[in-house]
Amino acid sequence: MGLKLRRRNYIEEKEEEASHSLRRFPSKINPLSSPSPLSQNKFVGIQDVKDNFTDPLRRLDRGTDTTQRDSRDDEFYFKAGILSEPSVQFPAKEWISFRKILLQKFPISKMIRVSSISSSIMKHGNVNEKSTINTHLEELDDPQRFTEVGIKLISQQDYFSCLNELKEEIRRAWHGDDRVTSLKLSIKVGRLLMDTSVEQFYPKLFLLATDIFDMLGELVWERIRQKAEYAENGSTIFSFPDNFKASDISSEAKETCGNWFSKIGAIRELLPRIYLELAILPCCRFVHDDPTDILQRLVMMTRGIGNPLASAYCRLYIVHRAQRVPQCGIGYLVTCINDLKILLYNIASTKEDRFSNFSGNRRLLLSLIEPTIEYTMKTVLKDSDQTRISEILVGLGLGKKQGDLFGQCACISIVLYHLLKELPIEVICSNAVGIFNLIEYNNDPSFDQCLNYQLLGFRLCERISQVYQFQEVANKVIQVVTCYSRLDEYLKIIDAYLDIIMKMDGYMKVILDGIFEHTSSKEVGDSELTSLQSIILKLLTYFDNIKDMLALEHFVDIIGAMRGSSRTTISLQILRMASRTPFLQDTTIIQFIYEVCQAIHDGMDISNSRSEEYQQATHLVSRFVNMVDYGPKVEQHLTFLVECRGSLGGFSELREPLVHLSNRLAINVMKNGNTISLVKSCLAFSEVTIPSVPVHIRQLNLYLETAEVALLGGLVSHFDGLVDSAVRCLENLSGFDGLQKSNDLAMITSLLCKLCSLMVLAPGKEDQGVTYLARRILSFLTSESGVFPKMKILVLCALVSSLAASCQNLPPYHAIQGEVVAYLQNALSLSDVLVQNMQAAILQEPSQAVRGQLALEACNCIASSFSASRETSAICSSLMETAKSSLSVDDKYLTSSLKFLGKYQDVLRVQGEQTHEL
Amino acid sequence: MSIEINLSRSNRTYHPNEALEGKIIAKVASSISHQGIKLKVKGSVHLQVRGGSAGVIESLYGVVRPMPILKKVFDVQPSGRIGSGMVEIPFSVRLRDPGEDNVEKMYETFHGGNISIQYFVTVDVVRGYLQKSLTATVEFIIESEKDNLPERPVSPEMVIFYITQDTQRHALLPELKSGGFRVSGRMSTHCSLADPICGELTVEASAVPIQSIDIHLMRVESILVGERIASEPSLVQTTQIADGDICRGMTLPIYIIIPRLLTCPTIFAGPFSVEFKMIITITFQSELSKMQAKSEPLTPKLWLAMESLPLELVRTM
Repeated sequence: MGLKLRRRNYIEEKEEEASHSLRRFPSKINPLSSPSPLSQNKFVGIQDVKDNFTDPLRRLDRGTDTTQRDSRDDEFYFKAGILSEPSVQFPAKEWISFRKILLQKFPISKMIRVSSISSSIMKHGNVNEKSTINTHLEELDDPQRFTEVGIKLISQQDYFSCLNELKEEIRRAWHGDDRVTSLKLSIKVGRLLMDTSVEQFYPKLFLLATDIFDMLGELVWERIRQKAEYAENGSTIFSFPDNFKASDISSEAKETCGNWFSKIGAIRELLPRIYLELAILPCCRFVHDDPTDILQRLVMMTRGIGNPLASAYCRLYIVHRAQRVPQCGIGYLVTCINDLKILLYNIASTKEDRFSNFSGNRRLLLSLIEPTIEYTMKTVLKDSDQTRISEILVGLGLGKKQGDLFGQCACISIVLYHLLKELPIEVICSNAVGIFNLIEYNNDPSFDQCLNYQLLGFRLCERISQVYQFQEVANKVIQVVTCYSRLDEYLKIIDAYLDIIMKMDGYMKVILDGIFEHTSSKEVGDSELTSLQSIILKLLTYFDNIKDMLALEHFVDIIGAMRGSSRTTISLQILRMASRTPFLQDTTIIQFIYEVCQAIHDGMDISNSRSEEYQQATHLVSRFVNMVDYGPKVEQHLTFLVECRGSLGGFSELREPLVHLSNRLAINVMKNGNTISLVKSCLAFSEVTIPSVPVHIRQLNLYLETAEVALLGGLVSHFDGLVDSAVRCLENLSGFDGLQKSNDLAMITSLLCKLCSLMVLAPGKEDQGVTYLARRILSFLTSESGVFPKMKILVLCALVSSLAASCQNLPPYHAIQGEVVAYLQNALSLSDVLVQNMQAAILQEPSQAVRGQLALEACNCIASSFSASRETSAICSSLMETAKSSLSVDDKYLTSSLKFLGKYQDVLRVQGEQTHEL
Repeated sequence: MSIEINLSRSNRTYHPNEALEGKIIAKVASSISHQGIKLKVKGSVHLQVRGGSAGVIESLYGVVRPMPILKKVFDVQPSGRIGSGMVEIPFSVRLRDPGEDNVEKMYETFHGGNISIQYFVTVDVVRGYLQKSLTATVEFIIESEKDNLPERPVSPEMVIFYITQDTQRHALLPELKSGGFRVSGRMSTHCSLADPICGELTVEASAVPIQSIDIHLMRVESILVGERIASEPSLVQTTQIADGDICRGMTLPIYIIIPRLLTCPTIFAGPFSVEFKMIITITFQSELSKMQAKSEPLTPKLWLAMESLPLELVRTM
């Protein structure tokens, strides 16, 4: 007596089950619907763009790879100890960050051009023996100026190691009580700064040299302080408060201090003299209480330096060192900037060929000087209140008196730029029109006027609520912008003022007309694209509604004029906007966005499917496709899907949602009772699309989903075909290549279980034998090496249950027709094989706990599928033994299974008793 | 066995009516006997005639006999012994008694080229026959008494100057002559030694680019030799106030700290005098200057404009 399938009465069981199953409620929120990722991203793009704009010169450098190399270099310098962090405690934060920026800003070639003076200093820097150093120092002390011209090349490394050695030598000499040598060597360093033929290296040289001066300054300060604090015999004379007066200092200390100043005063050359006096500037507190005159004099002395670069950096050092002196006021800073202005006027008005030193490059010279302006301006305006700012502005000649600021005053535009950058926002906002006039009045070659307008715009938009003269500003913008014929300048200005313009009615149209006019007549270049992108992004943020946007004249044309990555960025932004609405019904909007999607598709590098942009794009496009809703116009909707599949074919991830959509469409058609032919079209679409889905598991899933839809529509032949394709697809999952992930396996397992359950309804085509499908699944399970025992058992259980269900006298669905007897025999023999496979598979499971679980699973399945008999009982017992040996006694599943099996054994005993009676 | 003098002031500067104070420090291995410890204070003017406006014959005389200013001997200790180890013997001597006649004025210490005014203090430990006496000498510096000095600030006597192509007494480059230049300014000519020399200078115009503007502090030492006065100017210090072609019309400050020792109050004594002056030189950029690399900075050259200004130095409070 073999195994027999158990007879069941589904109707009864169903009623019984219903009594102890949980009730289900529909959920309002679909947990699977993706939350819109846009709200967070909304402003990011704009912010980035803004950052780029605030410093146009730095942006130029960003393109080169020098920054990277430089930062590596810096590391080297820091490591080598040349650029040690300043060891001072005064507010040096700005200075440190400024140093870093300065270091990164100017790329340096490996070789540096130096004049013969520097090279002679450098040469001797290498020598360690004292005697030679002294002889060279004497040479250098020669009051005769080195007049030989001649540029030599020296490697950057050598230059640094020389400076480093000099620094060490100075420190050593100082600690060896040979302060005169320290001073002499420092003067040498000062002479190096007289050589500006090093060009781009000058800022770095400046930092290295001033580092040495700072060190010397600290040493001198410390020495005099100690003199003032302690008498020669070590007793304390005077303990130092922070705000000490010159009168508190002993005459001994004062004399030492005076000696330092007169030693430095005796230096013949102007530049080293100024630098060294600045180095020991803090010490002037020991002698004078009021440092303002000294600073003023130093600023004026700097006027004597004819070389613009050297004098600009010398002023920078004044500003830096003055911060070490309390109560130095701002007068010197104002003079400093005014002097700089005159210097820059001269540069701006000089013919290009006069800059022989700078290879005829005024731009380079200006860019080298620019950081000094920036730092000075920052220092002047730091922590300034309203009245002080007015004073400063009047001092800078930007107003006749307080309250009457800006307007037609002369101010070199590069200085103006940095002034605008640093001025407090309130001052800018309340003087918007005045500043406009100021910019208009000051147009010189030192700086691009357009960038000043742009900066003003950005600053005004920073706190738009404080701008009162909207109308005037907007008028001015229009007036100014019409003068610019170049597209990039035009766009830059528009971009900066867009927030203001958008607040004014009617101006938007003028602007868009202008942009359209400019873009239609000329090719849009790369820099223009960036501005255009920023403008459009701002517009998109402002409107927040596609319909309003489309209503704008020329908007679509302007977008059409864009290309490349900017176009993609804009398109993505539009898509993001669109995806904020729950669904799209307006055909014009759908058409517009469809075109936008096409633009993304065409403009994107499809091959790089891992890139973030691509991922985002596919996400947004599929979201858009999901949102499209043609309502009752099903055919149109299907056509749309077909179009999408065709023209957006590059997004392979899109095909899956398309199949889902067509299936959804089919269901909707059925619900609304439309003709079956439409359903068929949808199914056909799905069927054709599925093979192009790149991942096989997804194909399998889609086949099964579509099969279900077909079954729902009663299209059995479609269903059969789809199930067949699914099984074939399963068979194509050969070797489980790349599917070793547990997620995939779980997915396949559950898909197979689902397939088994579908087989209850349609076990297979008759001509191939009714158990044909089941056998194919079995052969898949046994032949594939990648199938784990767990998966195997779960699927086998499903198969057994499915077979058992199909073989009932009263099956749950009346799907099987034809020869029932043959089917039953087939099913029985198959189930025999399945059970054997199951037993074998359990033993293959390596993990003990899992093995126990699986044994219980199999045992339950067998006990519920087959009628009670000795064989089943024997199989079950052996499985239970396996389970018991693998699981702990109080395992819940085990105990409940034991209970269930107990009932089963009872049945068997009753049957046995009956046989006995016979 | 050694001996040295440690003066009470580290800068070794004293005024004539002050007491010279300090310590004699003797280091001896074993105690020695002596016949007295004496302190000699001596000051003199050394004059030397050479070059300059002195004639050939005068220069043959060479060194004129030094003029003594001060010579005093003090007994610090009578004869006795110096114990072993380090012995400190403090002293305090008056350089000039209040009632004393000013036979010779105590000029301030000055180290010049031809004239030097120096003061020394010498300690002598006399040790009888056949034994070498121990001796040590230290220079100290004399600055004028504060009592009879004018108070600061000195009346600001400023002299205004103009330097143009027409004020030059030597030949100039043709382009300088034709293009012209004008540098103006003012400078103090009566200056306290304790204060810097102040002033300002403005390049109003210059067709030829400027290479450098320097201010040379000069001293003029004159010595009476027989009937003639031999005087020689020499350079004390050069201070550059402009380097390169500077902006026109901007005022540059002149600020020169007067170097100590190398200067002193202007002296007009009978046999000699020490005076000071300043020379402003404007060097213009020129190809010619590059040919002639090194030379005396004050010789008139084609690319050089100069202006000389007097300078009277005084000691103030």
